Amino acid sequence: MRPRPQRPDELITRINVTPIIDVALVLVTILLVTAPMLSIADLPVNLPKAHTREAEDERNVSITRASNGDLAVDDHAVSLAGLRAAIRVRLEAPGNDNVLVVVRADASTPYAEVRDLLAAARGAGAKRLAVATRQDTEEHP
Amino acid sequence: MARFKRRPATEGIFEPNMTPLIDVSLVLVVILMVATPLAFQSSILLKSAGAEGRQARSVERSARIDLGVLADGNVRVNRMTVPRAALAATLGPLLQASGARVVVVRCEDGVPHGDFVGVIDEAKTLGAAEIAVVGR
Repeated sequence: MRPRPQRPDELITRINVTPIIDVALVLVTILLVTAPMLSIADLPVNLPKAHTREAEDERNVSITRASNGDLAVDDHAVSLAGLRAAIRVRLEAPGNDNVLVVVRADASTPYAEVRDLLAAARGAGAKRLAVATRQDTEEHP
Repeated sequence: MARFKRRPATEGIFEPNMTPLIDVSLVLVVILMVATPLAFQSSILLKSAGAEGRQARSVERSARIDLGVLADGNVRVNRMTVPRAALAATLGPLLQASGARVVVVRCEDGVPHGDFVGVIDEAKTLGAAEIAVVGR
């Protein structure tokens, strides 16, 4: 059915929904993009630089080891003693059976501590492990 | 204060509607602001948890490459100690000749995490298919 042509002197009585749809899309976009960030602890971490890019967009459980030694699993601060239990709780959540566990350690952290974090993740049942890096955009010499 | 002149009903609206343009621009700004830190964060996959140690060792010695990161700044490639700067020249040909291209990495306790990641990143860049990290 063709719409009735509007006469030039006729008032527009329909509600303009374009602005409300635009604002709604803005909110949806903000939520979509910020959701992954909300699951990462806000700790000072200087990630090591690397060229390798793997599993960038994959959902994961993150273990953060800050430059000051603080630990966190996702966005929850934990102690070293409670680390393994905290990881296990995350891995036992529905749908997290084969989830990637990413260790986000500061570049200055001694490797022995990173190895302990990897061991804790393995002990808690992690099947897939990765170390987080900061994308190095410089070309190889 | 002067009152607005009433617009006749037959007069058209000639100002462009800026609302959609501003909204779309704000979306782009928000996406760029929030996505930039995430775009620069990546990760390097390590061989599956069960492969640590024993399973990594089960790969035939001829098919795997042993890599050690030493605290003195050198690296050990299949029992041959070389300076860190010579890693690419040493490891590259070995990876080319290797079928499985599995690299088993050991790292001394005092090595900074950044150096460890630098070595496995270089191994990946040179063509390593899998990186297995050996524990204590």
